[in-house]
Amino acid sequence: MRVLIIDPDSARATLVAEGLAGVAPLEVRQAAIFDEAEAAAFAPDVVVVAAESPDRDVIESLREAGVGELRPVVMFVDRSEPGRAEEAVRAGVAAYVVDGLAPARVRSILEVAMSRFRLMRQLRDDLDKAKSDLASRRTIERAKALLMKERGLEEEAAYRLLRKLSMDSGRPLAAIAADFLAFAGLLKGDGA
Amino acid sequence: MTSKAEFRLGFVPLNDAAALIVARDKGHFAAEGLSVELSREASWATVRDKVAIGALDGAHMLAPLALAMALGVGCEATPMIAPFTLNFGGAAMTVSTRLAAAVGLGGRAEGLAKLIARRRDQGASPLTFGVVFPYSTHNYLLRDWMARGGIEPDREVRLTVTPPPRSAELLSEGVIEGFCAGEPWSQVAVRAGVGHIAMRSARFAPDAPDKVFATTHVWAEAHCDELQALLRALLRASAWSEDPANRAELVAILARPENVGVDGEAIEAGLGDIRFHRDGANRPDVVQALWILQQMARWGQVRIDPETTRTASRVYRPDLFDQAMKAAAA
Repeated sequence: MRVLIIDPDSARATLVAEGLAGVAPLEVRQAAIFDEAEAAAFAPDVVVVAAESPDRDVIESLREAGVGELRPVVMFVDRSEPGRAEEAVRAGVAAYVVDGLAPARVRSILEVAMSRFRLMRQLRDDLDKAKSDLASRRTIERAKALLMKERGLEEEAAYRLLRKLSMDSGRPLAAIAADFLAFAGLLKGDGA
Repeated sequence: MTSKAEFRLGFVPLNDAAALIVARDKGHFAAEGLSVELSREASWATVRDKVAIGALDGAHMLAPLALAMALGVGCEATPMIAPFTLNFGGAAMTVSTRLAAAVGLGGRAEGLAKLIARRRDQGASPLTFGVVFPYSTHNYLLRDWMARGGIEPDREVRLTVTPPPRSAELLSEGVIEGFCAGEPWSQVAVRAGVGHIAMRSARFAPDAPDKVFATTHVWAEAHCDELQALLRALLRASAWSEDPANRAELVAILARPENVGVDGEAIEAGLGDIRFHRDGANRPDVVQALWILQQMARWGQVRIDPETTRTASRVYRPDLFDQAMKAAAA
Protein backbone atom coordinates (compact mmCIF):
# COMPACT_ATOMS: atom_id res chain seq x y z
CA MET A 1 0.00 0.00 0.00
CA ARG A 2 1.36 3.42 -0.93
CA VAL A 3 0.12 6.23 1.27
CA LEU A 4 0.80 9.92 0.67
CA ILE A 5 0.27 12.15 3.70
CA ILE A 6 -0.10 15.91 3.25
CA ASP A 7 0.51 17.38 6.66
CA PRO A 8 3.13 19.83 7.93
CA ASP A 9 3.18 17.86 11.18
CA SER A 10 5.01 14.53 11.05
CA ALA A 11 3.21 13.10 14.11
CA ARG A 12 0.27 11.87 12.09
CA ALA A 13 2.46 10.25 9.48
CA THR A 14 3.94 8.24 12.32
CA LEU A 15 0.45 7.35 13.54
CA VAL A 16 -0.60 6.16 10.11
CA ALA A 17 2.57 4.13 9.65
CA GLU A 18 2.01 2.55 13.07
CA GLY A 19 -1.59 1.74 12.24
CA LEU A 20 -0.52 0.07 9.02
CA ALA A 21 2.23 -2.03 10.59
CA GLY A 22 1.98 -5.52 9.16
CA VAL A 23 0.75 -4.34 5.76
CA ALA A 24 3.36 -5.34 3.23
CA PRO A 25 4.56 -3.87 1.01
CA LEU A 26 4.00 -0.49 2.62
CA GLU A 27 5.36 2.91 1.71
CA VAL A 28 4.25 5.96 3.65
CA ARG A 29 5.44 9.31 2.38
CA GLN A 30 4.85 12.64 4.08
CA ALA A 31 4.94 16.12 2.53
CA ALA A 32 4.08 19.49 4.04
CA ILE A 33 2.66 20.79 0.75
CA PHE A 34 0.90 18.92 -2.04
CA ASP A 35 2.93 18.83 -5.23
CA GLU A 36 1.08 17.55 -8.28
CA ALA A 37 4.16 16.23 -10.09
CA GLU A 38 5.58 14.54 -6.99
CA ALA A 39 2.23 12.94 -6.21
CA ALA A 40 1.90 11.64 -9.78
CA ALA A 41 5.38 10.11 -9.61
CA PHE A 42 4.67 8.41 -6.29
CA ALA A 43 1.26 7.08 -7.45
CA PRO A 44 -0.28 6.54 -4.01
CA ASP A 45 -3.19 4.17 -3.36
CA VAL A 46 -4.66 6.67 -0.96
CA VAL A 47 -4.00 10.29 -0.03
CA VAL A 48 -4.38 11.36 3.59
CA VAL A 49 -4.69 15.11 4.08
CA ALA A 50 -4.83 17.08 7.31
CA ALA A 51 -8.10 18.99 7.67
CA GLU A 52 -6.10 22.13 8.40
CA SER A 53 -4.17 21.85 5.14
CA PRO A 54 -5.37 24.38 2.54
CA ASP A 55 -4.11 21.94 -0.10
CA ARG A 56 -7.25 19.91 0.40
CA ASP A 57 -8.96 22.16 -2.19
CA VAL A 58 -6.15 21.67 -4.68
CA ILE A 59 -6.30 17.88 -4.43
CA GLU A 60 -10.09 18.01 -4.62
CA SER A 61 -10.10 20.07 -7.81
CA LEU A 62 -7.64 17.69 -9.46
CA ARG A 63 -9.93 14.79 -8.67
CA GLU A 64 -12.95 16.66 -10.03
CA ALA A 65 -11.13 17.62 -13.19
CA GLY A 66 -10.20 13.96 -13.62
CA VAL A 67 -6.51 14.80 -13.84
CA GLY A 68 -4.40 11.67 -13.73
CA GLU A 69 -5.46 8.55 -11.91
CA LEU A 70 -8.11 9.22 -9.30
CA ARG A 71 -7.25 8.47 -5.68
CA PRO A 72 -9.40 8.21 -2.61
CA VAL A 73 -8.67 11.08 -0.23
CA VAL A 74 -8.84 10.62 3.52
CA MET A 75 -9.00 13.64 5.78
CA PHE A 76 -7.91 14.14 9.36
CA VAL A 77 -10.21 16.26 11.50
CA ASP A 78 -9.75 17.60 14.96
CA ARG A 79 -12.84 16.34 16.72
CA SER A 80 -15.32 13.59 16.08
CA GLU A 81 -17.63 11.10 17.67
CA PRO A 82 -16.56 7.48 17.81
CA GLY A 83 -17.64 5.56 14.74
CA ARG A 84 -18.22 8.71 12.78
CA ALA A 85 -15.19 8.18 10.57
CA GLU A 86 -16.48 4.93 9.08
CA GLU A 87 -19.99 6.34 8.86
CA ALA A 88 -18.75 9.42 7.00
CA VAL A 89 -16.77 7.32 4.55
CA ARG A 90 -19.80 5.16 3.81
CA ALA A 91 -21.93 8.28 3.40
CA GLY A 92 -19.64 9.45 0.62
CA VAL A 93 -17.52 12.06 2.31
CA ALA A 94 -13.99 11.48 1.06
CA ALA A 95 -13.11 10.11 4.47
CA TYR A 96 -12.57 11.19 7.92
CA VAL A 97 -10.02 10.41 10.56
CA VAL A 98 -9.84 11.76 14.06
CA ASP A 99 -6.88 13.23 15.85
CA GLY A 100 -5.70 11.21 18.81
CA LEU A 101 -7.00 8.21 16.91
CA ALA A 102 -5.91 4.77 18.02
CA PRO A 103 -3.50 3.42 15.41
CA ALA A 104 -5.57 0.23 15.40
CA ARG A 105 -8.38 2.02 13.56
CA VAL A 106 -6.23 3.61 10.86
CA ARG A 107 -6.07 0.50 8.74
CA SER A 108 -9.79 -0.17 8.79
CA ILE A 109 -10.62 3.42 7.83
CA LEU A 110 -8.15 3.51 4.94
CA GLU A 111 -9.43 0.16 3.72
CA VAL A 112 -13.06 1.30 3.88
CA ALA A 113 -12.09 4.47 1.98
CA MET A 114 -10.32 2.51 -0.74
CA SER A 115 -13.03 -0.08 -1.16
CA ARG A 116 -15.77 2.53 -1.27
CA PHE A 117 -13.77 4.49 -3.80
CA ARG A 118 -13.44 1.40 -6.03
CA LEU A 119 -17.16 0.77 -5.70
CA MET A 120 -17.98 4.35 -6.69
CA ARG A 121 -15.69 4.16 -9.68
CA GLN A 122 -17.29 0.89 -10.72
CA LEU A 123 -20.74 2.47 -10.46
CA ARG A 124 -19.62 5.44 -12.51
CA ASP A 125 -18.10 3.21 -15.18
CA ASP A 126 -21.29 1.13 -15.29
CA LEU A 127 -23.35 4.28 -15.67
CA ASP A 128 -21.14 5.52 -18.52
CA LYS A 129 -21.43 2.14 -20.21
CA ALA A 130 -25.19 2.09 -19.78
CA LYS A 131 -25.39 5.56 -21.32
CA SER A 132 -23.26 4.58 -24.29
CA ASP A 133 -25.25 1.35 -24.74
CA LEU A 134 -28.41 3.41 -24.87
CA ALA A 135 -26.86 5.76 -27.42
CA SER A 136 -25.80 2.81 -29.63
CA ARG A 137 -29.25 1.31 -29.46
CA ARG A 138 -30.77 4.61 -30.59
CA THR A 139 -28.28 4.82 -33.48
CA ILE A 140 -29.17 1.29 -34.60
CA GLU A 141 -32.89 2.08 -34.40
CA ARG A 142 -32.44 5.20 -36.52
CA ALA A 143 -30.34 3.38 -39.13
CA LYS A 144 -32.96 0.63 -39.29
CA ALA A 145 -35.79 3.15 -39.75
CA LEU A 146 -33.85 4.86 -42.53
CA LEU A 147 -33.25 1.55 -44.34
CA MET A 148 -36.93 0.69 -44.07
CA LYS A 149 -37.92 4.06 -45.49
CA GLU A 150 -35.31 4.39 -48.24
CA ARG A 151 -35.19 0.79 -49.40
CA GLY A 152 -38.68 -0.30 -48.48
CA LEU A 153 -37.40 -3.09 -46.23
CA GLU A 154 -39.26 -4.79 -43.41
CA GLU A 155 -37.83 -4.10 -39.95
CA GLU A 156 -36.42 -7.62 -39.62
CA ALA A 157 -34.71 -7.40 -43.05
CA ALA A 158 -33.23 -3.98 -42.26
CA TYR A 159 -31.74 -5.37 -39.07
CA ARG A 160 -30.35 -8.44 -40.89
CA LEU A 161 -28.68 -6.17 -43.45
CA LEU A 162 -26.98 -4.10 -40.75
CA ARG A 163 -25.86 -7.26 -38.93
CA LYS A 164 -24.45 -8.78 -42.12
CA LEU A 165 -22.46 -5.59 -42.81
CA SER A 166 -21.24 -5.72 -39.22
CA MET A 167 -20.14 -9.36 -39.46
CA ASP A 168 -18.56 -8.95 -42.89
CA SER A 169 -16.52 -5.97 -41.78
CA GLY A 170 -15.85 -7.22 -38.24
CA ARG A 171 -17.02 -3.89 -36.79
CA PRO A 172 -19.63 -3.29 -34.07
CA LEU A 173 -23.24 -2.98 -35.16
CA ALA A 174 -23.52 0.53 -33.69
CA ALA A 175 -20.48 1.69 -35.72
CA ILE A 176 -22.01 0.33 -38.93
CA ALA A 177 -25.31 2.03 -38.11
CA ALA A 178 -23.53 5.33 -37.39
CA ASP A 179 -21.61 5.12 -40.69
CA PHE A 180 -24.80 4.37 -42.53
CA LEU A 181 -26.54 7.41 -41.02
CA ALA A 182 -23.54 9.63 -41.77
CA PHE A 183 -23.46 8.49 -45.40
CA ALA A 184 -27.18 8.97 -45.79
CA GLY A 185 -26.78 12.55 -44.56
CA LEU A 186 -23.89 13.12 -46.94
CA LEU A 187 -25.83 11.83 -49.94
CA LYS A 188 -28.75 14.05 -49.05
CA GLY A 189 -26.39 17.02 -48.77
CA ASP A 190 -25.21 16.30 -52.33
CA GLY A 191 -28.75 16.46 -53.53
CA ALA A 192 -28.74 12.73 -54.35
CA MET B 1 -34.67 32.32 23.06
CA THR B 2 -33.34 30.26 25.93
CA SER B 3 -31.51 27.66 23.93
CA LYS B 4 -28.62 26.18 25.87
CA ALA B 5 -27.29 24.17 22.98
CA GLU B 6 -23.81 24.78 21.77
CA PHE B 7 -23.37 25.30 18.06
CA ARG B 8 -20.29 24.99 15.97
CA LEU B 9 -20.04 27.08 12.80
CA GLY B 10 -17.23 27.04 10.27
CA PHE B 11 -15.51 29.92 8.52
CA VAL B 12 -12.59 30.37 6.16
CA PRO B 13 -10.20 33.24 7.00
CA LEU B 14 -11.56 36.03 4.78
CA ASN B 15 -12.93 39.53 5.38
CA ASP B 16 -16.36 38.36 4.27
CA ALA B 17 -16.63 36.03 7.28
CA ALA B 18 -17.00 39.20 9.36
CA ALA B 19 -20.66 38.65 10.31
CA LEU B 20 -19.91 35.32 12.04
CA ILE B 21 -16.75 36.60 13.71
CA VAL B 22 -18.38 39.84 14.86
CA ALA B 23 -21.52 38.05 16.08
CA ARG B 24 -19.31 35.99 18.38
CA ASP B 25 -16.79 38.65 19.42
CA LYS B 26 -19.32 41.48 19.89
CA GLY B 27 -21.82 39.27 21.68
CA HIS B 28 -24.63 39.12 19.09
CA PHE B 29 -24.91 35.34 19.40
CA ALA B 30 -24.86 35.55 23.19
CA ALA B 31 -27.57 38.24 23.14
CA GLU B 32 -29.79 35.71 21.37
CA GLY B 33 -29.04 33.09 24.03
CA LEU B 34 -26.83 31.14 21.67
CA SER B 35 -23.53 29.63 22.61
CA VAL B 36 -21.59 29.44 19.36
CA GLU B 37 -18.11 28.15 18.76
CA LEU B 38 -16.43 29.14 15.48
CA SER B 39 -14.12 26.72 13.75
CA ARG B 40 -11.49 28.24 11.46
CA GLU B 41 -11.21 26.00 8.40
CA ALA B 42 -8.38 25.91 5.88
CA SER B 43 -10.23 24.64 2.83
CA TRP B 44 -13.68 24.76 1.23
CA ALA B 45 -13.73 21.01 0.67
CA THR B 46 -13.36 20.52 4.41
CA VAL B 47 -16.13 23.05 5.14
CA ARG B 48 -18.38 21.19 2.69
CA ASP B 49 -17.67 17.75 4.15
CA LYS B 50 -17.98 18.85 7.77
CA VAL B 51 -21.32 20.54 7.12
CA ALA B 52 -22.56 17.53 5.12
CA ILE B 53 -21.89 15.06 7.95
CA GLY B 54 -22.93 17.39 10.75
CA ALA B 55 -19.49 18.01 12.26
CA LEU B 56 -20.37 21.68 11.73
CA ASP B 57 -23.90 22.99 12.31
CA GLY B 58 -23.52 25.60 9.57
CA ALA B 59 -20.87 27.67 7.88
CA HIS B 60 -19.66 30.72 6.00
CA MET B 61 -19.73 29.28 2.49
CA LEU B 62 -19.13 30.10 -1.16
CA ALA B 63 -22.66 30.58 -2.50
CA PRO B 64 -21.96 28.33 -5.54
CA LEU B 65 -20.64 25.61 -3.22
CA ALA B 66 -23.99 25.50 -1.38
CA LEU B 67 -25.71 24.98 -4.75
CA ALA B 68 -23.14 22.41 -5.88
CA MET B 69 -23.78 20.42 -2.69
CA ALA B 70 -27.54 20.53 -3.21
CA LEU B 71 -27.14 19.45 -6.85
CA GLY B 72 -24.62 16.74 -6.02
CA VAL B 73 -21.99 18.29 -8.27
CA GLY B 74 -18.48 17.32 -7.15
CA CYS B 75 -19.86 15.47 -4.13
CA GLU B 76 -22.89 13.47 -3.12
CA ALA B 77 -26.10 15.47 -3.06
CA THR B 78 -26.93 17.03 0.32
CA PRO B 79 -30.11 19.11 0.59
CA MET B 80 -28.86 22.56 1.65
CA ILE B 81 -30.35 25.89 2.59
CA ALA B 82 -28.86 29.37 2.28
CA PRO B 83 -31.04 31.71 4.37
CA PHE B 84 -28.56 34.61 4.51
CA THR B 85 -26.27 36.34 2.02
CA LEU B 86 -23.09 37.52 3.76
CA ASN B 87 -21.61 39.90 1.18
CA PHE B 88 -21.28 41.39 -2.26
CA GLY B 89 -17.93 42.69 -3.53
CA GLY B 90 -14.74 42.40 -1.52
CA ALA B 91 -12.93 40.08 -3.91
CA ALA B 92 -10.26 40.92 -6.45
CA MET B 93 -8.21 39.50 -9.24
CA THR B 94 -4.51 40.08 -8.79
CA VAL B 95 -1.81 39.56 -11.40
CA SER B 96 1.93 39.25 -10.89
CA THR B 97 4.06 42.37 -11.20
CA ARG B 98 5.76 40.65 -14.18
CA LEU B 99 2.48 40.27 -16.00
CA ALA B 100 1.31 43.77 -15.07
CA ALA B 101 4.54 45.19 -16.49
CA ALA B 102 4.15 43.16 -19.68
CA VAL B 103 0.51 43.93 -20.51
CA GLY B 104 -0.28 47.12 -18.60
CA LEU B 105 -3.25 47.39 -16.31
CA GLY B 106 -6.39 48.97 -17.57
CA GLY B 107 -8.70 46.68 -15.68
CA ARG B 108 -9.41 44.84 -18.93
CA ALA B 109 -8.08 41.60 -20.36
CA GLU B 110 -7.32 42.74 -23.94
CA GLY B 111 -3.62 43.27 -23.22
CA LEU B 112 -3.45 39.84 -21.67
CA ALA B 113 -5.21 38.36 -24.71
CA LYS B 114 -2.49 39.81 -26.98
CA LEU B 115 0.25 38.43 -24.76
CA ILE B 116 -1.40 35.00 -24.80
CA ALA B 117 -1.63 35.07 -28.61
CA ARG B 118 2.02 36.09 -28.87
CA ARG B 119 3.11 33.33 -26.50
CA ARG B 120 1.09 30.79 -28.46
CA ASP B 121 2.82 31.82 -31.70
CA GLN B 122 6.16 31.35 -29.94
CA GLY B 123 5.12 27.94 -28.68
CA ALA B 124 5.38 29.01 -25.02
CA SER B 125 3.42 27.18 -22.34
CA PRO B 126 0.01 28.56 -21.28
CA LEU B 127 -0.09 30.99 -18.34
CA THR B 128 -1.45 29.62 -15.07
CA PHE B 129 -4.09 31.39 -12.96
CA GLY B 130 -5.48 30.37 -9.59
CA VAL B 131 -9.02 30.44 -8.26
CA VAL B 132 -10.20 29.51 -4.78
CA PHE B 133 -12.46 26.59 -5.68
CA PRO B 134 -14.20 25.26 -8.82
CA TYR B 135 -17.59 26.27 -7.36
CA SER B 136 -16.88 29.89 -6.49
CA THR B 137 -17.92 33.31 -7.72
CA HIS B 138 -14.19 33.96 -8.07
CA ASN B 139 -13.83 31.20 -10.67
CA TYR B 140 -16.78 32.58 -12.66
CA LEU B 141 -15.65 36.22 -12.47
CA LEU B 142 -12.10 35.42 -13.52
CA ARG B 143 -13.41 33.42 -16.48
CA ASP B 144 -15.89 36.13 -17.44
CA TRP B 145 -13.20 38.83 -17.19
CA MET B 146 -10.98 36.81 -19.54
CA ALA B 147 -13.81 35.96 -21.93
CA ARG B 148 -14.73 39.65 -22.26
CA GLY B 149 -11.14 40.32 -23.31
CA GLY B 150 -11.33 37.60 -25.97
CA ILE B 151 -9.58 34.83 -24.02
CA GLU B 152 -11.05 31.34 -23.90
CA PRO B 153 -10.23 30.30 -20.33
CA ASP B 154 -10.64 26.56 -20.88
CA ARG B 155 -8.35 26.55 -23.91
CA GLU B 156 -5.91 29.42 -23.64
CA VAL B 157 -4.87 29.50 -19.99
CA ARG B 158 -4.37 26.91 -17.30
CA LEU B 159 -6.74 27.34 -14.36
CA THR B 160 -5.86 25.76 -11.07
CA VAL B 161 -7.07 25.89 -7.48
CA THR B 162 -4.76 27.78 -5.13
CA PRO B 163 -5.27 28.26 -1.40
CA PRO B 164 -5.61 32.07 -0.95
CA PRO B 165 -3.18 32.27 2.01
CA ARG B 166 -0.51 30.84 -0.28
CA SER B 167 -1.32 32.97 -3.34
CA ALA B 168 1.24 35.74 -2.71
CA GLU B 169 3.99 33.15 -2.39
CA LEU B 170 2.89 31.29 -5.55
CA LEU B 171 2.84 34.61 -7.47
CA SER B 172 6.35 35.52 -6.37
CA GLU B 173 7.66 32.03 -7.20
CA GLY B 174 6.13 32.25 -10.67
CA VAL B 175 3.92 29.17 -10.15
CA ILE B 176 0.86 31.30 -11.05
CA GLU B 177 0.60 34.60 -12.92
CA GLY B 178 -2.60 35.73 -11.26
CA PHE B 179 -5.40 34.69 -8.94
CA CYS B 180 -8.93 35.67 -8.02
CA ALA B 181 -9.82 35.47 -4.33
CA GLY B 182 -11.63 37.20 -1.52
CA GLU B 183 -9.82 39.88 0.45
CA PRO B 184 -7.51 40.39 2.24
CA TRP B 185 -5.46 38.02 0.10
CA SER B 186 -5.03 40.37 -2.87
CA GLN B 187 -3.91 43.09 -0.47
CA VAL B 188 -1.40 40.70 1.05
CA ALA B 189 0.11 40.10 -2.42
CA VAL B 190 0.10 43.83 -3.21
CA ARG B 191 1.78 44.66 0.09
CA ALA B 192 4.41 41.98 -0.46
CA GLY B 193 5.22 43.76 -3.74
CA VAL B 194 4.44 40.71 -5.89
CA GLY B 195 1.00 41.56 -7.28
CA HIS B 196 -1.17 44.25 -8.82
CA ILE B 197 -4.95 44.31 -8.67
CA ALA B 198 -6.40 44.00 -12.16
CA MET B 199 -10.09 43.68 -11.33
CA ARG B 200 -12.29 44.20 -8.29
CA SER B 201 -15.51 42.23 -8.01
CA ALA B 202 -17.38 45.28 -6.64
CA ARG B 203 -16.65 47.20 -9.86
CA PHE B 204 -16.73 44.33 -12.33
CA ALA B 205 -19.83 42.54 -11.05
CA PRO B 206 -21.44 44.50 -8.19
CA ASP B 207 -24.51 42.23 -8.16
CA ALA B 208 -22.63 38.93 -8.03
CA PRO B 209 -23.38 37.14 -4.74
CA ASP B 210 -20.27 35.89 -3.00
CA LYS B 211 -20.65 34.12 0.38
CA VAL B 212 -23.71 32.87 2.19
CA PHE B 213 -24.43 31.40 5.56
CA ALA B 214 -25.46 27.84 4.75
CA THR B 215 -26.57 24.76 6.60
CA THR B 216 -28.19 21.45 5.74
CA HIS B 217 -31.93 21.20 5.26
CA VAL B 218 -32.00 18.49 7.93
CA TRP B 219 -30.31 20.72 10.50
CA ALA B 220 -32.59 23.66 9.70
CA GLU B 221 -35.71 21.52 10.10
CA ALA B 222 -34.55 20.23 13.47
CA HIS B 223 -33.50 23.68 14.76
CA CYS B 224 -36.13 26.15 13.53
CA ASP B 225 -35.95 28.49 16.56
CA GLU B 226 -32.17 28.35 16.86
CA LEU B 227 -31.79 29.09 13.15
CA GLN B 228 -33.99 32.17 13.51
CA ALA B 229 -31.88 33.31 16.47
CA LEU B 230 -28.69 32.76 14.43
CA LEU B 231 -30.08 34.79 11.54
CA ARG B 232 -31.07 37.68 13.83
CA ALA B 233 -27.56 37.69 15.30
CA LEU B 234 -25.98 37.63 11.83
CA LEU B 235 -28.24 40.46 10.73
CA ARG B 236 -27.15 42.69 13.62
CA ALA B 237 -23.51 41.72 13.16
CA SER B 238 -23.70 42.54 9.44
CA ALA B 239 -25.21 45.96 10.17
CA TRP B 240 -22.47 46.58 12.75
CA SER B 241 -19.77 45.53 10.25
CA GLU B 242 -21.16 47.87 7.61
CA ASP B 243 -21.19 50.94 9.87
CA PRO B 244 -18.16 53.17 9.08
CA ALA B 245 -18.06 54.21 12.74
CA ASN B 246 -17.04 50.64 13.62
CA ARG B 247 -14.42 50.22 10.91
CA ALA B 248 -11.33 50.53 13.13
CA GLU B 249 -12.69 48.01 15.62
CA LEU B 250 -13.76 45.63 12.83
CA VAL B 251 -10.23 45.73 11.41
CA ALA B 252 -8.77 44.96 14.83
CA ILE B 253 -11.18 42.04 15.33
CA LEU B 254 -10.53 40.50 11.90
CA ALA B 255 -6.75 40.93 12.26
CA ARG B 256 -6.59 38.65 15.33
CA PRO B 257 -4.72 35.42 14.66
CA GLU B 258 -7.72 33.22 15.49
CA ASN B 259 -9.85 35.14 12.96
CA VAL B 260 -8.41 36.19 9.58
CA GLY B 261 -4.95 36.57 11.08
CA VAL B 262 -3.46 39.08 8.66
CA ASP B 263 -2.07 42.51 9.53
CA GLY B 264 -4.61 45.28 9.98
CA GLU B 265 -3.48 47.42 7.06
CA ALA B 266 -4.11 44.66 4.52
CA ILE B 267 -7.48 43.89 6.13
CA GLU B 268 -8.53 47.53 6.04
CA ALA B 269 -7.46 48.04 2.42
CA GLY B 270 -9.48 44.96 1.48
CA LEU B 271 -12.61 46.25 3.21
CA GLY B 272 -12.89 49.24 0.88
CA ASP B 273 -15.52 47.92 -1.48
CA ILE B 274 -17.31 45.15 0.36
CA ARG B 275 -21.05 45.35 0.99
CA PHE B 276 -22.00 43.59 4.23
CA HIS B 277 -25.49 44.86 4.83
CA ARG B 278 -26.59 48.05 3.08
CA ASP B 279 -29.10 48.05 0.22
CA GLY B 280 -30.71 44.82 1.40
CA ALA B 281 -27.53 42.81 0.87
CA ASN B 282 -28.41 40.04 3.31
CA ARG B 283 -31.68 38.91 1.73
CA PRO B 284 -31.00 35.70 -0.19
CA ASP B 285 -33.03 36.46 -3.30
CA VAL B 286 -33.70 33.43 -5.48
CA VAL B 287 -32.44 35.48 -8.44
CA GLN B 288 -28.96 35.06 -6.95
CA ALA B 289 -29.30 31.28 -7.11
CA LEU B 290 -30.36 31.49 -10.74
CA TRP B 291 -27.41 33.78 -11.57
CA ILE B 292 -25.03 31.24 -10.03
CA LEU B 293 -26.71 28.38 -11.85
CA GLN B 294 -26.20 30.24 -15.12
CA GLN B 295 -22.49 30.65 -14.39
CA MET B 296 -22.19 26.96 -13.53
CA ALA B 297 -23.90 26.06 -16.80
CA ARG B 298 -21.82 28.51 -18.85
CA TRP B 299 -18.62 26.82 -17.74
CA GLY B 300 -19.90 23.28 -18.10
CA GLN B 301 -20.38 22.37 -14.42
CA VAL B 302 -24.11 21.65 -14.73
CA ARG B 303 -26.76 21.32 -17.41
CA ILE B 304 -29.81 23.49 -16.86
CA ASP B 305 -33.10 21.64 -16.87
CA PRO B 306 -36.31 22.17 -14.87
CA GLU B 307 -35.20 19.77 -12.13
CA THR B 308 -31.82 21.51 -11.65
CA THR B 309 -33.46 24.93 -11.58
CA ARG B 310 -35.99 23.75 -9.01
CA THR B 311 -33.33 22.19 -6.77
CA ALA B 312 -31.11 25.28 -6.97
CA SER B 313 -33.86 27.79 -6.28
CA ARG B 314 -35.04 25.79 -3.25
CA VAL B 315 -31.64 26.32 -1.60
CA TYR B 316 -32.23 30.06 -1.31
CA ARG B 317 -34.63 30.81 1.52
CA PRO B 318 -35.76 34.46 1.57
CA ASP B 319 -38.78 33.32 3.63
CA LEU B 320 -36.57 32.33 6.57
CA PHE B 321 -34.63 35.57 6.21
CA ASP B 322 -37.80 37.71 6.15
CA GLN B 323 -39.05 36.03 9.30
CA ALA B 324 -35.79 36.88 11.09
CA MET B 325 -35.78 40.42 9.71
CA LYS B 326 -39.29 41.05 11.00
CA ALA B 327 -38.49 39.71 14.46
CA ALA B 328 -35.23 41.69 14.64
CA ALA B 329 -37.05 44.91 13.77
CA ALA B 330 -39.84 44.28 16.28
